[in-house]
Order: sequence, then structure tokens, then C-alpha cells
Amino acid sequence: MSAASEPVQAADLLAVEEITVRFASKRGELVAVEDASLALQRGETLGIVGESGCGKSTLARCIAGLLRPDSGRILLRGADVTRARSRSERRMVQIVFQDPYSSLNPRLSVRSTLRELLAVHGLARGAAAERRCRELMGLVGLPAGALDGYPNAFSGGQRQRIAVARALAVEPEVIVADEPTSALDVSVQATILALFEDLRSQLGLGIVMISHNLAAIRHLCDRIAVMYLGRIVEFGTRSEIFGDPRHPYTLALLAASPRIREETGGTRVRLSGEPPSPANRPSGCHFHPRCPRAEERCSIELPTLGVAAGSHALVACHFRDERRTR
Amino acid sequence: MIPLGDHNGGRSSPDRADDGRSTRRSSGRALAVEELTVSVQREDGRHIAVDGVSFEVVAGSAFGLVGESGSGKSLTLRALISLLPPAASVEGGGVLLHGQRLPIAGRGARRARRGEMAMIFQDSLSALNPVQGIGSQIAEAPQRLLGLSRRRAWERALELLRLVGIPDPASTAHAYPHQISGGMRQRVAIAIALSTEPSVLLCDEPTTALDVTVQAQILDLLDDLRRRLDLAIVFVSHDLAVIRQLCDETAVMYTGRLVETGPSQAVLAEPTHPYTRGLLSAIVELGDPVGAPTPIPGSLPDIERLPSGCTFHPRCFLATAECASTVPELAAAAGAADNHRSACIHRDRLVHA
Repeated sequence: MSAASEPVQAADLLAVEEITVRFASKRGELVAVEDASLALQRGETLGIVGESGCGKSTLARCIAGLLRPDSGRILLRGADVTRARSRSERRMVQIVFQDPYSSLNPRLSVRSTLRELLAVHGLARGAAAERRCRELMGLVGLPAGALDGYPNAFSGGQRQRIAVARALAVEPEVIVADEPTSALDVSVQATILALFEDLRSQLGLGIVMISHNLAAIRHLCDRIAVMYLGRIVEFGTRSEIFGDPRHPYTLALLAASPRIREETGGTRVRLSGEPPSPANRPSGCHFHPRCPRAEERCSIELPTLGVAAGSHALVACHFRDERRTR
Repeated sequence: MIPLGDHNGGRSSPDRADDGRSTRRSSGRALAVEELTVSVQREDGRHIAVDGVSFEVVAGSAFGLVGESGSGKSLTLRALISLLPPAASVEGGGVLLHGQRLPIAGRGARRARRGEMAMIFQDSLSALNPVQGIGSQIAEAPQRLLGLSRRRAWERALELLRLVGIPDPASTAHAYPHQISGGMRQRVAIAIALSTEPSVLLCDEPTTALDVTVQAQILDLLDDLRRRLDLAIVFVSHDLAVIRQLCDETAVMYTGRLVETGPSQAVLAEPTHPYTRGLLSAIVELGDPVGAPTPIPGSLPDIERLPSGCTFHPRCFLATAECASTVPELAAAAGAADNHRSACIHRDRLVHA
């Protein structure tokens, strides 16, 4: 167990240590996540960004206990939960998915959905359960009357609130949100982002926010991990990632995000090609075939995460010490 | 081979020679939409989903239609190309292609647009035939509509693949849709759309399903094509930033009505409609100061229960009693450019506010 190896200081709320997830596919083995490590504290929002196939959702599922990594460890308050989770450990981490339309049972009213959970976990019954249901509605900004509704009666944003209420019902300490606003209209996205921010500050939850939307991540997250083809390629604070990105991929992601308010014209960094399949990752640095900075060495040697000079960010690039002007 | 820049070349099909449109493509107004109205059949009757939408698109320019789900933007696009779902029908209004009024519905409508208007969709995988090679899917329309021989049509397919930036067209042409990536599939869909040299390209959220780095590539491609081929593009999206990047002009839709139209820069930088404003402040952007964005209160009304007067009034911070009774017309706010119009009776209060 971890007790001996744990440092003296209080354990992280959530720690992911060098996890690797492989899937068998028709064309051989696919490495979805490789050597990913992160830690989350109470009241912190951690962002994971990357394009499709980068492994961010697989990582989210591992954290939520829906998928067991092939190697590495996941610790909740210092306890190793990689192999199995007790009921209370399962309650500790809850996940909210992208599509609130398919993640709610259409045949159950909101009240039934919530009361079933409360009963199964032995949290509340009868009048206490009803009180808790109303409290949960309040937490996610829905009227108590919404308890009588069925999922199809609600808009996308309201459904996402119901999904969040369901996650909160079991009193979790960590919420994993996998693209929680991607399926919503722009005017609604803001309200859901604000909801997560409230949950963090009011309930002191630790939040892992998975998204491809860099702007949303920037607004919510204290620290951000950028993933590419299964590996974390850059890990730093908001100001490091957005103010002083060191990995050429991070820079390219930032440059590719269209803006309304800021002129993006002029020198636009454009990546050529698309992310290769995780079943067929390029040698060396997996990013090298698309990288404008790549040299011969990059196709041979896999760069590991290291601290960049003049920064505290961890960057997996042979040229991490170079400042990249935007 | 048909040079893609020469728009009148290769149109040898007798079917199109005498259709009176061979003199089209004078630059200028390629597409005009007049008071287009579309209704949708619901359980309790028909409801207006697109309400008197008018706009014009100049050849070689891109027109953005932005709105949230249910705003009617996609229905507008489908009505233009006569591909409405069975429950929807055009109630009135007109569509003019290079000044020629097109039949609005029925078999003749589809025929009049064939080859002249093309459309690309969000989901390129389901837009392509999974059991047909890419090359022959592209060659199909030139062969059938332009009367090219099989060989010429195949050559043209390769040429189109090159045009849309597919590396190694000769081998990609033999691939099937599932064998190529999402970005490449969207390029193939664009190649098919362009295969009959249309003058109008309708785009229904073609980059929404793509990753940002790939989205940037597709937007660059569309921008390049409209210049090179003098295409008039109508681009529907919920993403204001994407619209801003590609489109010269932008129209904002809310509950089936255009609530603001004008040059993209003006609409998105100095909006004169409270909804446009609300949308802009609800969006988080990379350059913004960190903090929670301001959401628009309330939610989109359903077309079955539209508020009276200005349909945005229940959510609007400027609303007065008059807003609930008067449907505002599109007009320029005091001090705004003539072509920057909004449908709000309080529009003047938003200028420089």
C-alpha cells in the first residue's frame, strides 16, 4: 500500500500516478493514455485539453473508476483505488458527461432519479430524501418543481443541471466533467460554466474539467494539462499555459482557436495534417510529423515531461526552454 | 480537363444550355432571399419556424447566419436548396439566383438548383456513401449533370481532390470514406459539392464536428475557394468566432427572424441588438479577462409558444411594454452604417453604449 511511500504532508485529494491504458483493436494494440500523472486538491479545478483521440476522456473514465488502467496508480486521499473502490470511495468521485440527453434515464422523473440514488447509498429516505432533493435543485439552480419533470421536458442546459444534481446527490469530493458544455448552445454554456465555478467555491469540490474548448478551460481552471496522442505534453498554471506556452502543440492549439474580439489575421500558425490515430503513433515525439519546430532527434527520442527554464510548467519537448512568441 | 477557374467551360449538357442561366455569374448579387417563410408541422398544428428572412449574398463573398439551436438557421438553408424535411414547408417568399427567380418547392425546385447550388453538412461521414469509392462519388455529378465521359469525370475528380487539398489524390480517390479522417472527409464533401461548379455553396456547420486545428484548415480552404472560384457562400453556425473569421457579412437569427444583419465586424464588435450583445457576453474567449461570463437570462422559447411582439423581450434587459406588442423591423441605428441593421425599437440606446 501507499502508506510508506506517501510524503509526510497531507495526501492529495486525488492523485493519478503514471497511468497507462491500452485497448486491443483490430489493428493491434492502441495506447489511449500513457504515463499520465496529475494531482488535484480540494477547491481546485484542473483542466485537461486536447483534440479527439488524445486520451482525455479515457483519463477521465479512469479517474471516475469506470475504467481500470493497465499500469500506474490512482489514489484518493492517499488510498490506492486503482484496483477496486469501496462504496464510499465510489461516491467520492462522480462524473458528468457531455450529452445530458443520453445520460439521464428518460423513464424516471428527476425526483425518482435522485431518490433512488439516495436510497441505494443509504443517504436519505422519506422526508429527509425529499428535503435533500429540494436542496440539490437549489444547488444546481433549478426550481423545486423540476423534481416532477422527466428528462424530455427540459432543455439541454437544464438537463445538464439535472446531471450535475445527480452527481452531487452522493456528496462527492471530486467531480469529473467530460465536455460538459460541448453539446449546449452558446448562451447556455456560460450558465453551466458558472455553475461549476460555484460548486468549486461553495462546496470546495475538486473538479476535473475535460474539454477541447480552450477558452472555457482558461476561465475555469487553475492548472491545465494539454494532451496529445495519449501523453500529457504540457502541464502548468493558467498563466503558464496561456501566457507562455512552451510546447509547439499548445501554441498551435491556441492559434487555431478562432476569436471574435481579437484580430487573428496575420501570422497564423497552421498545423498541417490531423492527429494520427492512437493505434499508429509516430515514433519519438508523437507530435513531430506536424510540428513546425521538429528536428531529426524528435523522430527518434521521446521527450519526457521536464520543467522548462524560466517557468514552472512541465513540458514534454526537446526545446522546452525556448520561449514561443505568439 | 476543365479549368476550374473557367466557370462557363464544360457546361455542354443540353439540359443546362437552354436554361437561360448561362449568362449568370456576372459578379454581383449571386443569391437573393426575399421574405422567406417556413412553417413546421407539430402535433398541435403548423408553426412558423422561419419568419420573413431576407438577405443577399454577393459572388465571392461569405454570408454568415448565426443562431442557437432552434433559431431556424438550418431550416433557412434547407429551404434555399429545397431540401426541407417532410414536416417543414415554405409558406412564402422567394429565392433568386443571379436574378432568376427559382421555383420554391417541388420537383422543379430541386431541378432548378441542381448543379448551381450545393451544400455541405456537419456530419461528413453520413453525407458520403460508405460503399462507394471517394473518386467515383466525386465523378458522379460531373458525369450525370455536366455530361462528361467517365474518364473526363474521373480526371475531374482527381483535380477536385487536389483543389481541396487532399494529398496524393490518385490513391485517395480509390479509398472509402471510413478509411480517411474527419477533416479529409469534409474536404471530400466539399469536392463533391464543387464538382458541378456551383455558384452558391451552402454550409451547415461544416466545422462543428472537427477539432480546432482541423477546423482552422477547413475554414482556410473555404476562404480560399470562395476567392478562387468566385463562390457565394452561406455559412450557418452557432459559433460567432468561426463566422467572424470567414464571413464578410453576418446575420443573427432568433426564433426564426433575423434580428441583426450587417458587416461582420460591425455586428460582432458594435452590436445594436440586445440578443447579439447577450450572445457576445455569454461567450468566453481566450483574450478575455478571466471570470465568469454573463449568461442571457431565461432560455430560448419554443416556436409553439413564441412571445408576442419582439420574441426576445422576456429575456431582454432593455424591454419595455411596447416590446411585447410591436414586432420591430430591421433598421439601422442612429450613427450606425446604413447596412448594419437591427430589429429592436431600442436600438439607438445600444450605439456606443
